[in-house]
Amino acid sequence: MAPATVLDRCATGVEGLDNILYGGVPRGNMVLVAGSVGTGKTTLSLEFLVRGAERGERSLFVSVTESSDKLIQNLSTFEFFRTDLVTNGSLVFVDLPVLYERLGLEHEELTPDEIAILIRTIRDLVRSLGIKRLVLDSLTSVCYRIRRDERIRDFMLRLGQELSEAGCTSLLVSEIGPTPGRYSLHGVEEAIVDGVILLWNARRQGDILRVLQVIKMRGTAHSQAQYVVELTPIGMLLAPHLKGGRPEGGM
Amino acid sequence: MVDPHRIFGIPEVDGPISTALPPGWLAVLTGSSASGAPLLAKQFAHAGVGSLPVLFYTTYERTIDVKKAFEDFGWDPSSIQVVNLADEYYERVLIRGLEVATAREKGLSLAQITGDSPSGHTGSAFSLTSRMLSDLAAIDTPFRLVLDSVDFFFEVLSPADVTTVARQIRFRCQTIGGHAMLAVHSRAHDTRVVGALEDLADVVVDLRATPQGRKYEHTLSVEKVRNRPDLQQIARARVTEQGWVVDPGADPPAVHRPTSP
Repeated sequence: MAPATVLDRCATGVEGLDNILYGGVPRGNMVLVAGSVGTGKTTLSLEFLVRGAERGERSLFVSVTESSDKLIQNLSTFEFFRTDLVTNGSLVFVDLPVLYERLGLEHEELTPDEIAILIRTIRDLVRSLGIKRLVLDSLTSVCYRIRRDERIRDFMLRLGQELSEAGCTSLLVSEIGPTPGRYSLHGVEEAIVDGVILLWNARRQGDILRVLQVIKMRGTAHSQAQYVVELTPIGMLLAPHLKGGRPEGGM
Repeated sequence: MVDPHRIFGIPEVDGPISTALPPGWLAVLTGSSASGAPLLAKQFAHAGVGSLPVLFYTTYERTIDVKKAFEDFGWDPSSIQVVNLADEYYERVLIRGLEVATAREKGLSLAQITGDSPSGHTGSAFSLTSRMLSDLAAIDTPFRLVLDSVDFFFEVLSPADVTTVARQIRFRCQTIGGHAMLAVHSRAHDTRVVGALEDLADVVVDLRATPQGRKYEHTLSVEKVRNRPDLQQIARARVTEQGWVVDPGADPPAVHRPTSP
């Protein structure tokens, strides 16, 4: 019997999450980080990049909604962040609106040609800078300009292929409402990606708990248990979600 | 002090028209290629110098060439504010188009993404209309304005938008006593489009070159003076060292207005 192929892992650096994933996200995977507002999507994504940059994996944060300056300012409150990662180019921030502007992507709805240009530009950046980790925050904002399901599907397939070929592991942030049932705005996104990490706020006895659950991850076994997330100055900490007091309004 | 009698600086034309015009008015100057209309537009601007602030908007000549044309006829351009809309449009819109094309074709480096835009301009927010009307809004005294030519506006705006611009200029003229002239190519646009502008205008002047043997002869026609059809006239015109003059006694060459394609 042939031995099972052992995939190269991209450790997220969030210990609890890496334990769930038996070492990390399979390298080259494109993972949806879905959650409603304030659940820690951006924090998880940033920690993933910082931990990678510390390991010598050049990391790229593509921001749609927040400016790079503001993100770096927010990052500086975490002990795991080092400014020199930014100054020495290990951690790169790009504002997508600037990219849109430089590429003349000014239509409210991107045409197929414009979508192709966007993918090519991201691919070229990843290749030329040797990016090994990428975060797009948020995929939802990009999809809002792509609009049509078939084009979103195509965009994600092609982007995922390009990133995977470059050995780049990516997290795509998906903004969803607090209502359970889907992991993305259009519903097609979660079908394309290799993995889905879901974050949500659960109420228990008057408290709000952030909860994380890995819904799917191609290429690896993983726990599907729910974990309580604690955002601390040293990073994201995960603890098993005790079922004794079942959360209200959870997934 | 506004001299209401100096329109072109051509007494035979200015005299009759000036008596019929209100304090603020809009003129349309039509002419085809080689008709000499750009020179008449400059002469109109020069005729306002001394009594009015004069704005000359050019859309196809270099500023230096505009000023030289003034000087060639002994007209001092220093009192005329020459605004080169073509240059501004190039710097703000066309050069950005080139940057975008290059970025799309050759890709973007990180430095190009994180640095300033090469041209210093972002987006395509430049509006010819806003550019000119904001100048006009800043003037609160009687003025003289030449737009040479409206043809460029037709390239980037819809005919309805061009008419709206003309309407706004005319309103400004009427409100504060301005004299504005819009030069337009007589053969480059649908007659309905030019007709709409002529309809708005208080004065319509046409300049035309007609081949006569081995030379061209020019005809200056005052085609419209609002409410005064009796002031229409057709005169043979020629260029002297002082600019356009008319020969009142001479019979003008036969002129046929072209029909729109």
